[in-house]
Amino acid sequence: MRKVVIGGIGNVLLGDDGVGPYVAQLLTSRYEFEEGVEVLDLGTPALDLIDQLSGKDVVILVDSVQTDAAPGTVLLYRKEEIMRLRPAMRMDPHSPALVDALFSADLFGVAPGSLLLVGIVAETYDTTCSLSKPVEASLGKVIAEILGELDRCSIGYRLRAVPAIFGAWWATEEHSEARMPVTAA
Amino acid sequence: MAQRITIDPITRIEGHLRIDVEVENNAVSNAWASCTMWRGIEKILRGRDPRDAWLFTQRFCGVCTTVHAMASVRAVEDALKVEVPLNAQYIRNLILIAHALHDHIVHFYQLSALDWVDILQIPKADPAATQKLAESISPWTRNSRNEFKAAQDRVNAVASSGQLGIFMNGYWGHPAMHLSPEVNLLAFTHYVQALEYQRKALQVVGILGSKTPHIQNLTVGGVANAIDLDSASALNMDRLEMIRVLLEDVVKFINEVYFVDVCAVAAMYPEWFKIGSGVRNYLAVPDLPLDSAGTSYDLPGGYIMDGNIAGVHTFKTASDQIFRDSVTEDVTHAYYQGKPLHPWSGETEPEFTGWNGDQKYSWVKAPRFNGQPMQVGPLAQVLVGYAQGHPLTQKYANLALGKVQAIGGVRATPEMLHSTLGRHAARAIRASMLAELAQKHLQLLTDNIARGDTSVFNQPVFPSHEVEGVGTHEAPRGTLSHWVVIKDEKIKNYQAVVPSTWNASPRDASGAHGPYEASLLHTPLARPEEPLEVLRTVHSFDPCMACACHAFDPQGRQIAKAKIL
Repeated sequence: MRKVVIGGIGNVLLGDDGVGPYVAQLLTSRYEFEEGVEVLDLGTPALDLIDQLSGKDVVILVDSVQTDAAPGTVLLYRKEEIMRLRPAMRMDPHSPALVDALFSADLFGVAPGSLLLVGIVAETYDTTCSLSKPVEASLGKVIAEILGELDRCSIGYRLRAVPAIFGAWWATEEHSEARMPVTAA
Repeated sequence: MAQRITIDPITRIEGHLRIDVEVENNAVSNAWASCTMWRGIEKILRGRDPRDAWLFTQRFCGVCTTVHAMASVRAVEDALKVEVPLNAQYIRNLILIAHALHDHIVHFYQLSALDWVDILQIPKADPAATQKLAESISPWTRNSRNEFKAAQDRVNAVASSGQLGIFMNGYWGHPAMHLSPEVNLLAFTHYVQALEYQRKALQVVGILGSKTPHIQNLTVGGVANAIDLDSASALNMDRLEMIRVLLEDVVKFINEVYFVDVCAVAAMYPEWFKIGSGVRNYLAVPDLPLDSAGTSYDLPGGYIMDGNIAGVHTFKTASDQIFRDSVTEDVTHAYYQGKPLHPWSGETEPEFTGWNGDQKYSWVKAPRFNGQPMQVGPLAQVLVGYAQGHPLTQKYANLALGKVQAIGGVRATPEMLHSTLGRHAARAIRASMLAELAQKHLQLLTDNIARGDTSVFNQPVFPSHEVEGVGTHEAPRGTLSHWVVIKDEKIKNYQAVVPSTWNASPRDASGAHGPYEASLLHTPLARPEEPLEVLRTVHSFDPCMACACHAFDPQGRQIAKAKIL
């Protein structure tokens, strides 16, 4: 049995930063996965992200991304690319997040076999529990990328006949489940 | 002419701590602490059901999740005057303790040990000599030559690859670093081992809270854990036993590794017991309630002014009237409009002006207690407990001072705790206290269940009139308080006064520095362009700006460098 983590990262109170946890809830509600696959709403982890990464065979993370690309653009990053970045100066426990957690896991010999970060370019980080329109429109593509990675790694999943409870309790009415894509775009 | 140094680790969007210091004659002559971003998260709570508030507050910060959840339910319980069944108190206490133990281990090994430990000295260490040294100070069975050799090999591999990876940002070879190669190897080996034990502490949170990082088992009036010793799906004997076994390992690591390492590092840097004191007003709230009504606690609270230990004041309860009446937030130097206000009437109307050290320069408000800046955190808690003659505090404080004295051959007194190293020592003292209390509260829970009590929840009732409540928690970084005003079963106002706000506070109307700022004054800097000494003191507070947003920055712009202007 392979150990697989699909983790949504971000703050659900800060607009598009909540896209990671939102996607994690969407996946949990709509899909079933083979044994060994965990789908996690990781919130805004600091170095404890090491615990989620260590000893895993396959890790897929979903997070908002800050770049100059158009909001809603979906960008993919592999472990090797992320590890070419510099670790942060550790001023507070949030500084060492993904890059540092990967470096640490690597130093301790427990880095995941493969890691894919599915990044969604955010439009807004305002204090709200809503996603922006462009980010909402990208959800189908985000899910397709995640499922594509599972296919590449031959990890089994299937659409649930009846959706399970949608756990995004923070979501405003406009982002209730009904308006979300049922299957991948 | 003063040199200005800015340490600003951000360009990514997370709110972060920024430190500015002026340096004259190789010592800090002035200091400013500021937070670079704030988002008014509390506003999101207005109009919501108070019983749901904890779910939202748990998302304030990914490091302090359970902490904000707990303070929130306590605030609403205080407002609604609902008592919490014994089982629920014990379960909550165990979660808080396990979270704190995890947090303290992570803080020392992952966040601050490398301020004192020089990685590049490790290849010179002799693993056999390291073992001998380790055995002379601790019974830890994993202090073996093999473990030291394996850790050294890891460092050698990184160093010889030319890619320093995780160690890229360290001030290696800095003149303020002076541990022997063996002590550097010892501490680094424990840094590797710490990972296993911090994880075990989190597993305890996961078993009781049903998930991490966001626990699911809280509810206003108690907890949602079903207790049934014979049911596989409830909190049963198996789960209690799992917790006991996990705690056993964590407690051993705390007492035989973390506590000893802090004492050893302290003994070898005795000059740092004279640096970094700053604000000597200390504030701590009582925590770990032992009864339903919250009248007795395992951690004492109170306050000390001007370092006057003998004149300690005691808080009788976690929402003591003196505490309720004495907290205000000043915004003279923070990017907000308005006057000093009590949190229940607190406003958060931003007025961003850009950084100006003489005027407004931070998104952090300046909380004041009777108008005075207060230092919060493990040091405050340990000093308040020590001053009150609290036996558990005295036990581990005396043990730590004795250990420092034995290893370093220096005289160690409680007075030395007003310092940068004092904050580390106090955190280790607190960790050992909490480790003992973890086992005590697990036993209390087990015994109470064995007596046939399975109650976990009291139904809250909303009064028809407007009510106010404060919920406090003595969190890993110090006194946390959530303040709620409830009207018509909805939240009318909500403010969180977090530990790092007390410690990172900017100046107030009178010009009084906040604790970070005050602690940096007069700090000697060997190389101002590499302000390691500033980081040592700032890290000793365990800073955490509770306004985390978490976008990934693929351009790696988070490169943090001290900049001399």
